[in-house]
Amino acid sequence: MRSEKADREPRQRWRGWRNGGTAGALGHEALAYADTLYNLARYLTGSPTDAEDLVQETYARALQAAHQFTAGTNLKAWLFRILRNAFISRYRRERHNPTVGGLDTVDPTAQGLDQREWLRGDAELDRLWAIVGEEIERALMTLSEEARTAVLLDLEGLSEAEVAEIMGCAIGTVKSRLARARAALRVELRDYATKEAR
Amino acid sequence: MTCREVRPLLLDHERGTLAPEIERDVEGHVQRCPACAREEAAERALTQGLEQRLPRYAAPIALARRLRSQWPAEARRAPSRWHRWRRALVPALAVAAGLLMILPLSDRERATPGMVTEAVNDHLRILSSHHPLDIESGGMHQVKPWFEGRLDFAPVVPFLGDAEFPLRGGAVGYYLDRRAAVFVFTRRLHEISLFVFRAPGLPWPSPGPQLVGGCRATSTTSRGFNVILWREGELGYALVSELDLTELTQLAAMIAAGA
Repeated sequence: MRSEKADREPRQRWRGWRNGGTAGALGHEALAYADTLYNLARYLTGSPTDAEDLVQETYARALQAAHQFTAGTNLKAWLFRILRNAFISRYRRERHNPTVGGLDTVDPTAQGLDQREWLRGDAELDRLWAIVGEEIERALMTLSEEARTAVLLDLEGLSEAEVAEIMGCAIGTVKSRLARARAALRVELRDYATKEAR
Repeated sequence: MTCREVRPLLLDHERGTLAPEIERDVEGHVQRCPACAREEAAERALTQGLEQRLPRYAAPIALARRLRSQWPAEARRAPSRWHRWRRALVPALAVAAGLLMILPLSDRERATPGMVTEAVNDHLRILSSHHPLDIESGGMHQVKPWFEGRLDFAPVVPFLGDAEFPLRGGAVGYYLDRRAAVFVFTRRLHEISLFVFRAPGLPWPSPGPQLVGGCRATSTTSRGFNVILWREGELGYALVSELDLTELTQLAAMIAAGA
């Protein structure tokens, strides 16, 4: 599924617009990502209204910076980077939201081998297969902003290099953030499974 | 390799991105070690949950409209040779369009390969999924309300299912870049998937000559599956099954009739 997503969203190639094209030409392609950007914004902000504002701000910033977009690079990744920067500058400073902190808010022991040995039987594995979308969403929203972003950008089929550029970190950091985020997600989902079993 | 060495590689193993020699070692270890095999299964279950069940939010139509209106339209470019020849080409294109209308439907499949391929892929995912339905049902009255709050549109599906085409249930899925309401009907042993999604912005073919329940539809065959595509107002519909095309068209007509 992941590779299909990646395949169906090829890199945007802007051969024309840079040399005589316009922001209007860029906009036609950029607007096609409104749904994708809104989805990320929704998970970053946790609010439909804030997500709308964030997407609108993203497009406003993209419009201003259209001349800086490099032809032949990934437009979607470029827009994601703008959105995330807008989110960080707007929400992290304004709200001082403790959940929008670093990845350290995810329990580091979650990635330990012993902590991940929670699938003690097939019944628990079955439960993981049966987990519903709302539970996954709830679990995702308990993660820190960086962990959530790593998971969501990975889901969008971006390469680790592209995610690293969006998040402003090294590729190795993306790998470890993603692994830790997934481990934390599984711990959360295990908790739901345990609660339901009681 | 030890468990501690294998665990961090399981995600890459799942995605097939490991170097061949490492992949062999990891695969060998997973086959021998029940704990790592379970861990691998759990990683796969998490991936599937994230990719297929995590709700995906589409931009509200009002936001999309606002964004379109705020972004400047493409500037008028200097007249090119193309524009000079345009007047001569318009009649030729009109003739070509006329020819296109009378070509067999299967020839026009090329006009929407993305939409047809996506419909078949989505149908296959449902067939192979461990849990294809979010809501199993005894009827549409139970399924339709379930979609409230899960989609940013109301799927209009007036056909409630009957003895010939019972409705098995529904789920929230995706069609290309947008969320879709998925309804699964059956006919004898055949599964039939109906995807309802927001229609604007997709590469729809020009409406086909086939009238299905009052709508102009395009029916094609891809990889042995019959696909019927049509749109009604803001909503698009894709009906897919390996069921005989005549019977599938019969179901499409009942769905489209009141939409």
